[in-house]
Amino acid sequence: MKSAGNDIVALRSVDKQRTSQFRFYSKILSALEQALYHQPQFAEIPFENYVWLLWSVKESAYKYLKRTIPGLVFSPTKIIIQHIEIPVGPLINKFEGIQWESNGYSEEFYRGKVIYGSHTFYFRSKISEEWIATVVNNNENFENVWWGIQSIDDAGYYHQSKAVRTLLLNKLNSFFPGDLQVEKNPVGYPVILKDLEDLHIPVSLAHDDRFVAYSFILNPLNNS
Amino acid sequence: MDRKTIFTELKKVLAPYTENKEMLDGISEETDLIRDLKINSANLVDIIIDAESQYNIEIDFDSAEKMYKVGSCIDVIIDKMNQSA
Repeated sequence: MKSAGNDIVALRSVDKQRTSQFRFYSKILSALEQALYHQPQFAEIPFENYVWLLWSVKESAYKYLKRTIPGLVFSPTKIIIQHIEIPVGPLINKFEGIQWESNGYSEEFYRGKVIYGSHTFYFRSKISEEWIATVVNNNENFENVWWGIQSIDDAGYYHQSKAVRTLLLNKLNSFFPGDLQVEKNPVGYPVILKDLEDLHIPVSLAHDDRFVAYSFILNPLNNS
Repeated sequence: MDRKTIFTELKKVLAPYTENKEMLDGISEETDLIRDLKINSANLVDIIIDAESQYNIEIDFDSAEKMYKVGSCIDVIIDKMNQSA
């Protein structure tokens, strides 16, 4: 079953001091992931960015899995990042304007492999001065994985929820003109309806503070 | 310490992470922290750390993953307090 999983962490809402405490980060990172940070490639990455980068990967993988394992409970230390490569370009990107969109593969991303039991996923992450965002997929080819990020004015929960749905539907409308709706199924993951029929597009939504983000899987060539 | 006292204290632990403070007045043991209180999942670790400090207990991974409802949070806190007594 195809699924989707993404996450965004607003760096403004991160408590750097608390993140650096062992009793905090040890509830997110496994012992191997803690050791991985000491590799030379991470020398220029602040520890809090590392912790929340891995958090965003784990949360994204959890969302991906939740579609196929409805009873799954998020337990960060059981979702293990095995491998991380840092971007060829800048480690921290400027987030210019209010919106960013991408699909497919790029060397600008942090990327790697994440494991949950017998499940293997791959991730792409991007770090700006204001946020860390991740999307996961079940193979290394991200060409049909679409994701977008937008800044919003109001960080209230209901505004975030409305804004992320609008952002997603505006993008999906470019493929599916007409009246689209986002509903949550009983397990809690979002489904896309057109004329009340499920389009069976795996989508994932995330928001934190003043940022909202979506991801979905869609091959536009199969969509006519 | 009885269950009712922990329930009352837990509201104070949850308050900084709950956007709508009025919702806390109407919570029950069945209230889901993320779905009902709209607590950001990233704050669940904060809540576990705050509960550890409040009750001088240590909450292991297996117990932490049960703490997604108010009632299960109370179960874990009581269990860990009994273990450290």
